[in-house]
Amino acid sequence: MTAAIEVRGLQKFYREGLGGREVRALAGIDFAVQPGELFGLLGPNGAGKTTTVKILLGLTHATSGEASLLGLPARDPESRRRVGYLPEGHRFPGYLTARQTLSVFGRMSGVAPAELRSRIPALLHSVKLSEWMDVKVKKFSKGMTQRLGLAAALVHEPEVLLLDEPTDGVDPVGRREIRDLLKAEAAKGRAILLNSHLLSEIELTCDRVAVLRNGRVAAMGTIDELTKREEKSSSKGYRLVAAPLTEELIAEFRRKGASPECVNGHLRVLARDAEHLNELIDSARARGVLLTELTPEKNTLEDVFVDLVKATPEQVS
Amino acid sequence: MRALAANIEEVFREAAARWTLVAYFALSSLFILIFAVAVNLDVVNGALAGAKIFGQNVQMGRQSVDLDKLVLGFESGFAGFLYVVGTFLAIFATAHLVPRLMEKGTVDLYLSRPVGRVPLLLSRYVGGMLLSASNVIYLLGAMWLLVIWKTHLVHPRFFLAAGIILFGIAALMAFAFLIGTLTSSTAVSIMATFAVFFISAILANHDRIAAAMTAEWAATLVQGLYWVFPKTAQLGAAVVALVMGDEGPRRMRDALTLQPFVTTGLFGAVCLSLACLRFRRKDF
Repeated sequence: MTAAIEVRGLQKFYREGLGGREVRALAGIDFAVQPGELFGLLGPNGAGKTTTVKILLGLTHATSGEASLLGLPARDPESRRRVGYLPEGHRFPGYLTARQTLSVFGRMSGVAPAELRSRIPALLHSVKLSEWMDVKVKKFSKGMTQRLGLAAALVHEPEVLLLDEPTDGVDPVGRREIRDLLKAEAAKGRAILLNSHLLSEIELTCDRVAVLRNGRVAAMGTIDELTKREEKSSSKGYRLVAAPLTEELIAEFRRKGASPECVNGHLRVLARDAEHLNELIDSARARGVLLTELTPEKNTLEDVFVDLVKATPEQVS
Repeated sequence: MRALAANIEEVFREAAARWTLVAYFALSSLFILIFAVAVNLDVVNGALAGAKIFGQNVQMGRQSVDLDKLVLGFESGFAGFLYVVGTFLAIFATAHLVPRLMEKGTVDLYLSRPVGRVPLLLSRYVGGMLLSASNVIYLLGAMWLLVIWKTHLVHPRFFLAAGIILFGIAALMAFAFLIGTLTSSTAVSIMATFAVFFISAILANHDRIAAAMTAEWAATLVQGLYWVFPKTAQLGAAVVALVMGDEGPRRMRDALTLQPFVTTGLFGAVCLSLACLRFRRKDF
């Protein structure tokens, strides 16, 4: 099966000014996004996320390597016929209404005007802008402009969506609506590449993630694969919510080798195995402690991201 | 094709949203209206027997004036005036087309569509030219019809002068596009294009300027610049000569030669090609 989005050995070097020093934006990255997949691109500022997206859209030319959309090289304008893009900080002409905006960009993507007449109201309805259809874009709030951008990216019913910070400036309810919309689009078989700083958004939305660092892919995998805690020791961490958390209980746990830590009103303990964990629970119960929650500890995407960003290049490789 | 048509249409929508264009059309309309209402001519047997401007009689002397010559004089003067003013306004109204397209947050929206960069830039150029043509033809055409209505004299050459005016605008707009792709600045595009217009007009006297130069290289530079730059002064003279036809003095008729058109056309073609090349290669 042809990947919807594919980059191989992608490199990009910029030169700072005339005859200035060469800056490496991408140092050879590889990844592929399949149809129906929601793929997140993460990384600190300057990691190369936007450069990657721009190369895929032909906005920037790669120094070497290959980038393709639906099997067509990214430098071919035809590759963008079935691609929708929502750039970060986009600026639609303020003198156009929402309907006119979608009409202009729909026709620029080759959609017939007659088809657009029926498609635009439905699309604006799906992004909750029906009542603003004939209002000029200059009167829109940031969140509304973002929704319109999403509609403009979808107006020609693309097979691939490249979205740069799609929930930027959108309120929490709107964010959830956009997340649901993206999941629905992916369910239709559309490949979606999401570029965002909001790790929680990526975690809630994406099937797979690539973390870029200094122009390289530092980590890639499903959210579960990335957030699975690396077994640095034989013990496993648990979050224990119980009451009362007395000094005696903590001392008892310490004696049993659980290395207890009080964190925000709950206990964090380490258990070697299930037997050890049950031993800890038994001793707590014996002291009349009421357990309300016991959860195995798991890394969040943010933990993984921060670890990767702080790691030395050797640690990453 | 649909994409390019949408882009051209957007140029018009944008122009309509800008007050400069509205002001231009309003001023043009006002000028036409004043001419239509204020000028009343008394034509007897093809000659001007009397004239009234704003209701006041104009002294005609004892002899009647040859109406054809008078109208030709007016038409050629007006066409020459429109060549300068129309060119300035056209550049002023279209110089933003490239810098605005290249703005961060805007260029991404256009380039992410299945349209090549060169066709995208050229469609903007065509849009700009159609916009300028509509302005020039509106003013020139309305004045032409008014003259026909007032005098019953039909001088098609007056209307055809729009062709030369638009030719000059096309060359200068290509230069404005080149500067736009290089600097992404509307202000710089306007200033540089106006500078080329004036410098070119001065260079019309290249032989005299070169002769006045003490250094050989300076004289060569002046001659070189003359051949490189568009021939704005000669095109202006050609507009007047075209309208006057055989009625104009011989020196004026000589202005209608091929050389200014060829060199100006080359200047425009090279500028537009360089603008396309720059736009095609640029990383956004």
